[in-house]
Amino acid sequence: MSADNILEVSDLRVSFSLRGKMLTALRGTSLELRRGETLAVVGESGSGKSVLAKTFLGMLDKNGRVESGSIIFDGQDLARYTTEKQWLGIRGKRIAMIFQDPMTALNPLKTVGEQIREAAALHRGLDRRTSRLAVIETLERVGIGEPELRYRQFPHEFSGGMRQRAVIAAAVACRPEVLICDEPTTALDVTVQAQILDLIKSLQRDLHMSVLFITHDLGVVASVAQRVAVMYSGQVVEEGSVEEVFYDPRAPYTWALLASLPQLGVKGEELYSIKGTPPSLFKEIRGDAFAPRNPQALEVDFVEEPPAFPVSPTHWARTWLLDPRAPCIEAPRSIMRLRERLSKARKDPGRAGKASGGEA
Amino acid sequence: MKRPMPDLAPELFRPALFDEAAAELTGYAHYSYWRSTMRTFLKSPVSIFLLALIVVLVTASFIYPLVSPTDPNRVDLDTATWNMEPGSGHAFGTDGLGRDLWARAWYGTRTSMLLGLIIAILDVGIGMIAGALWGYVKRLDRVMTEIYNVLNNIPQTVFLILLTYIMRPGFWTIVVALCTTGWIGIARFVRNKVLMIRDAEYNIASRCLGTPLHRMILKNVLPYLVSILIMEAALTIPYSIGSEVFLGFIGLGLPLDTVSLGNLVNLGKNNFMLYPYQLTWPTLLLAAITISFYIVGNRFADASDPRNHV
Amino acid sequence: MSDDTILSVRGLGVEFPMGRKRFTAVDGVSFDLRRGETFSLVGESGSGKTTIGRAIMRIHPISKGEILFEGKRVSGRIDASAERLLRQRIQMIFQDPMASLNERAKIDYIVSEGLYNFRLFKDEAERRAKVEKALRDVGLIPEFASRFPHEFSGGQRQRIGIARALVMEPELLIADEPISALDVSIRSQVINLMNRLKRDRGLTYLFIAHDLSVVRFISDRIAVIYRGRLVELAGAEELFAHPLHPYTRALLSAVPLPDPEVERLKKHVAYDPSIHDYSQGKPSWSEVSSGHFVLGNECEIRGWKA
Repeated sequence: MSADNILEVSDLRVSFSLRGKMLTALRGTSLELRRGETLAVVGESGSGKSVLAKTFLGMLDKNGRVESGSIIFDGQDLARYTTEKQWLGIRGKRIAMIFQDPMTALNPLKTVGEQIREAAALHRGLDRRTSRLAVIETLERVGIGEPELRYRQFPHEFSGGMRQRAVIAAAVACRPEVLICDEPTTALDVTVQAQILDLIKSLQRDLHMSVLFITHDLGVVASVAQRVAVMYSGQVVEEGSVEEVFYDPRAPYTWALLASLPQLGVKGEELYSIKGTPPSLFKEIRGDAFAPRNPQALEVDFVEEPPAFPVSPTHWARTWLLDPRAPCIEAPRSIMRLRERLSKARKDPGRAGKASGGEA
Repeated sequence: MKRPMPDLAPELFRPALFDEAAAELTGYAHYSYWRSTMRTFLKSPVSIFLLALIVVLVTASFIYPLVSPTDPNRVDLDTATWNMEPGSGHAFGTDGLGRDLWARAWYGTRTSMLLGLIIAILDVGIGMIAGALWGYVKRLDRVMTEIYNVLNNIPQTVFLILLTYIMRPGFWTIVVALCTTGWIGIARFVRNKVLMIRDAEYNIASRCLGTPLHRMILKNVLPYLVSILIMEAALTIPYSIGSEVFLGFIGLGLPLDTVSLGNLVNLGKNNFMLYPYQLTWPTLLLAAITISFYIVGNRFADASDPRNHV
Repeated sequence: MSDDTILSVRGLGVEFPMGRKRFTAVDGVSFDLRRGETFSLVGESGSGKTTIGRAIMRIHPISKGEILFEGKRVSGRIDASAERLLRQRIQMIFQDPMASLNERAKIDYIVSEGLYNFRLFKDEAERRAKVEKALRDVGLIPEFASRFPHEFSGGQRQRIGIARALVMEPELLIADEPISALDVSIRSQVINLMNRLKRDRGLTYLFIAHDLSVVRFISDRIAVIYRGRLVELAGAEELFAHPLHPYTRALLSAVPLPDPEVERLKKHVAYDPSIHDYSQGKPSWSEVSSGHFVLGNECEIRGWKA
């Protein structure tokens, strides 16, 4: 394990048994979270991104289990943890999590302040008065005005955005080293989402946290992350810095994902569209899971799963197209356009800043 | 991440043919609601066994009176035939008047089953229609809620006893007594379901297409209630049979010349100290019927919930 | 009203009872849809955008104003022929493909529901042919007709919803967030399909959405709605190039774009309704430049015109 990785997942397999059938949610997932960075995990529903997050906190549903692979956190393999007692020192204390729906994370019968205080006191061993002050400070830090008053209020007196701030306060109150955000803004309005994203970014900087940000929205990825891992059918298919993945994607799935975005399309032209839908996780997948939907697939994609090919020291992708034996296959046109913009942006870094609503 | 590279033939590195129709099929799953419900239901051997038991009991109780020459009410004046132990030519023995208990058990089961079925059909039928209207027609809500409160707050037993006192004891009296209170619970259940379904997006879609109310109820609401109604019916049957036994037990049941499980239990209990078999057999039969219906009903309810399907 | 106006919404108000009080969901909204255009209504949750769509479909009763379709009033009390006109020629596509199809009906019935309601076929064979064509038009296999909705994925279900609308041969489609519940890789299927139908059949769309950046790609004109009132309306490119109302600007800056360079340099603008000083003059709906309308008082409008 390299010293600047705080969390390292390798070849993780997780499956669930559902009424006698086996559902494989993670099929050999590998990724690394560096100290002090924000890594976005992007994928569609069923890609396994939320299951991945749950394994970091030992919160898999009862019918699910880690089959193989490892999750190394601070020299310990979390994948081997079996008892609640082992998790106690990690969950909420060193690794904290924020969920999509803030209401499920808050107890409706207790004041918001008390809930956060209990969480913080439990993990930091503070007395009542000190912890109360710490909570009020945290509430202020996450942008909740009049923290003394808000401390005494109940969750239903908070708006959706404020609730998510309170949940964030509870998560960071014990100063975790790793913060996992599972689609924290999906249920929020765009203007509120922008504020919450700004908050998470500034907290990450100030508290020196490492953030694993799970989302399906590539816009959110571009906004919060330094690095990104693209997931498809229980596997990371591409990992690299946001610039590398957005401007020089290599995996056909990443191409398809980016090229199908209307925000990057040209009006009047057809968008690139991915045919079909992701494969059923109940079935055994042979070769590359994306092959049946990929018009640029090679015959080998249907036979053998591609390994991870390095593109640069910080960028790799799982596709046979990077094999020296593969023919030269061009990315879709809109991806080529992205590449051109990258070279332009490098020449003239001030230019991109003028865009208020982005370029299309 | 590093795995040994498998030996791959270079010709594999050719573009593959892309089949758009095959890609379209990746999202497609064979699934049928009723097939999955049945499959989930039949997965448990207990359910299969109990369902088979119900089928056997119902068929036998309706066929027996047609094929057997034994009259369940034939009193034998020969005292030697009174209170005979099981075996001895009478499978379940005889009672204090020399009547054949085997025959009486089947006749009794038939009466009780019939009672249960009729009450279940009436309860569910009335409850379904009333509940659907209650849920759909906003003006009815106040009235129905009041009716519900009144009916629901009178203790069931008191109501049953009162009604059987007012009316002459008989088969239909029990039907009326049980139905008067039974339908409202189902109606409320249906109403709550309808309220949930009424504003679902697919119903708004139907309204946007100008679908008339009767077709909305027929196509958009009732199919969602079928499994619930089957379950309700399956649970009403043992409840009604049990109620009849209870009324018989306190002497307000069917007339003594009608053979029913209630009357059998009632007579059996009088001779229980001397001839325990006269109570044991009807009670065991009763227990088998009610428990089977109850478990099968609940198992079916679980199986019909799509969340339990794979 | 010019000849190419297909739908005209005039001073629309919708109120909902909330206990004893009434809650105003939509307040004095007016706009015209031109034949063959894609007109987008963009706002956040609770802005009243969905309510407008449903008021046009007569799902919600309106409390003020009127709605004209091809010059004929289709709001308030109307006769059977106007209702028939509305139900056939205006169709709706819904947000959640998991909730908008009747799970217990076969695709065949779902797609033909409107045909049954208005007896739009001579015989069984014609009905089948229409269903088959509608399914083909949305890129589905006609054999799917005998299946139930839960056999399909979200994107396929959304296309079944579109087929159900198309089979009526509508002129106007109201699409209420048709792609926001779909997975990213599926969205472009639906967007391409909608654009193709618009091109081939001259359909008009009222597209209801919350995401301005997606809307830009498909819209000819965009209206921004805030708390039941329109605050700005302009051609799509004009709105992006010269957003005037502070809420529009806030909304534009809030949407994260899938471009790390742009995001890195972006500053979010928050909208604070108290910046408007309406003690000096009530805001009105004014045309600032050709086809570009904003809600503001005289003083604000003067500033925006400059």
